Amino acid sequence: MEFGWSTDERAHRQRIQDLLAEALPQDWEQLAVHGPGSDFQTDYSKEFCKLLAAQGLLVPHWPKEHGGEDAPVWKQFILGEEMWAVGEPRGAQYMNVNWVGPVLMRFGTDDQLSRYLPPIREGRAIWCQGFSEPSAGSDLASLRTAALPVDGGYRVTGAKVWTSYAGQADYCFLLARVAATEDGPTGKSAIVILLTDMSSPGIQVKGIPALIGEGDIHEVFFDDVFVPAADRLGAEGQAWEIITFALQNERTGIARYEFSRRVLDRAVGRLIKEGRWKDPVVQDRAARALMLCEAARMLVYRVVDAKANGLTVDAYSSIARWAVIEADNGVNDFLTEFVPAGLRGNDPVQQAHHQRAVSAGIASGAAEIQLNLIARRWLDLPGEKHRQ
Amino acid sequence: MNFELSEDQNSVLTALDSIMSKFDASGAEPHPYVYSRELDEALRESGFFSIAGEEGFSPLDGAMVIERVSRAPQVVESAASILIAPFLPFDPGTAPIAMDASSGREPIRFLPIARFLVTLHNDHVSVAAVDPAKVAYAESLLAYPYGRRGSSGIDEVATFGDVDLVRRRWQTGIAAEAAGCMAAALELVLDHVKTRFAFGRPLGSFQAIQHRLAMAAETAEAVKWLAYKAAWSDSSADAALAAGFAQSRTAQFTYDLHQFCGAMGLTLEFPLHLWTYRLRALAGELGGASAQARRAATSIWGEAA
Repeated sequence: MEFGWSTDERAHRQRIQDLLAEALPQDWEQLAVHGPGSDFQTDYSKEFCKLLAAQGLLVPHWPKEHGGEDAPVWKQFILGEEMWAVGEPRGAQYMNVNWVGPVLMRFGTDDQLSRYLPPIREGRAIWCQGFSEPSAGSDLASLRTAALPVDGGYRVTGAKVWTSYAGQADYCFLLARVAATEDGPTGKSAIVILLTDMSSPGIQVKGIPALIGEGDIHEVFFDDVFVPAADRLGAEGQAWEIITFALQNERTGIARYEFSRRVLDRAVGRLIKEGRWKDPVVQDRAARALMLCEAARMLVYRVVDAKANGLTVDAYSSIARWAVIEADNGVNDFLTEFVPAGLRGNDPVQQAHHQRAVSAGIASGAAEIQLNLIARRWLDLPGEKHRQ
Repeated sequence: MNFELSEDQNSVLTALDSIMSKFDASGAEPHPYVYSRELDEALRESGFFSIAGEEGFSPLDGAMVIERVSRAPQVVESAASILIAPFLPFDPGTAPIAMDASSGREPIRFLPIARFLVTLHNDHVSVAAVDPAKVAYAESLLAYPYGRRGSSGIDEVATFGDVDLVRRRWQTGIAAEAAGCMAAALELVLDHVKTRFAFGRPLGSFQAIQHRLAMAAETAEAVKWLAYKAAWSDSSADAALAAGFAQSRTAQFTYDLHQFCGAMGLTLEFPLHLWTYRLRALAGELGGASAQARRAATSIWGEAA
């Protein structure tokens, strides 16, 4: 057991920091104020991810056969920390490299791999995640968007909501339910995953103005949209297994605590400059926020390390995720109280952090779902229906 | 970065578990704490408490031993013996050590069983030999033996200047002990809520209880890894963060765990207090969470200009 970085890992981090210092526009902090889903960052991600791809830094963790370098898990994670800490210049594309690509590699057909992987590894594809619906958020299995089997594919009708990046997306990782038949599948078994071309006739996207930046929340309407059977990922009935795999990759993919830590460092720098650091209350509160960041870091590292050692992660990722939510909110609370001018327009980075923090416990499955998972899968507590 | 135990660490912890499994506290009379001289001596004689100073081992291995030992219902002094004794300017042998930062003004944890007392002053550390016959036992609610210094029986034998080393090792010890106490207390309460029924259901099936136990699990895990990180890096900042985090989470953690055991948990027959009243004792060590937070703040971001 040891908690240090190897020389190679330190050099890797330095290389990324140098690249960011050189590549990002001078006014990046102001440009990035509206978040990874904004029109600006989506457009910029296509330029930036191409650069990363050219430097071998976009998908090095992918297997060689799929255009990666079989790089260690930790290297990819260091990349993720550095990217999120500066406001995620990969925009929506972080999702592609973290989980869309790996899920396709595991469950996709040869035809799907040859169509979808090249645009991802070349840094030019935008995907959105068609999971949540007006009546199915954290309770994902209750989704109702209908996929009617027809000759050669499915006709999809329904609505998705809260969908990030949908306004600019080329493809949607869409979950839909095959209409119930007398002997047909029900519940989770009736869900199918359709890799849907967002330019298909019948798709309408409407942005919803929100507290958490631009481009993060949309409604997506599907009106009798045809999706070829060749675009179904996995077999009918296999979707829930694929979704579980995808969510495990998604939930620890974002190094939120690193952004929080750097925003906190920045705020303390400002407090020192303003002569307010001698106040022991300020020191106390800043360090308590810091403790949350470092606790989250250790728990997330525990998950990454398990992946690196080929171990099952399962419920520990929910423990880590709860800690990350605490860290994001703890730092945000400190900043809101002690450096409020940052939210009054003085600091675009603090504003961007605030927008990420307030959604930390909601995006990618509500915090309470994480607590449920910890209770059931880590603590082995009985279900609500358990009776004497 | 590697969170897995090495082969050596695995062997040490397996051997430690084997010794500890021979000491069963279930027959003990209800008491605020159960000090076991036999367990203490067995661990010392087996060499576990000198691990941090041995070739090929480090304070991280010491912190793992402290964490494991602190899971026991019996209390023994391990943190100071493991993390501080090997670095004293003389060899204190294998005797329990008490730690004080109040210059004797307050009752001192482990003083009634200690052979040495290490006192942290602003600018130096003093070490004194203790004559237990002259220590006044202090009646306490907390689950450790506490004693008061008498007017004699504490004879200074050495002083040295590395205040920072003693403080950071003390903080790391607080975090490692807290991690062990939290793990054991949580395990006990999980067993309780799985087997105790109310309204026809196990207590642990109620979501209101599940969520708070899930948060308690996150606390226990985070305290453990922060303690190990602090022991590994042996840095003042990490040690202050680890102890401060453990201390800051103690109130909620102990409140919730007692709450789920109801009135049973308020009795001395139910063993929960053997860990929660150690945690509550640790919460006030070295000035408590706020003092640790301020030390971490100045250690990481510097003093005010």
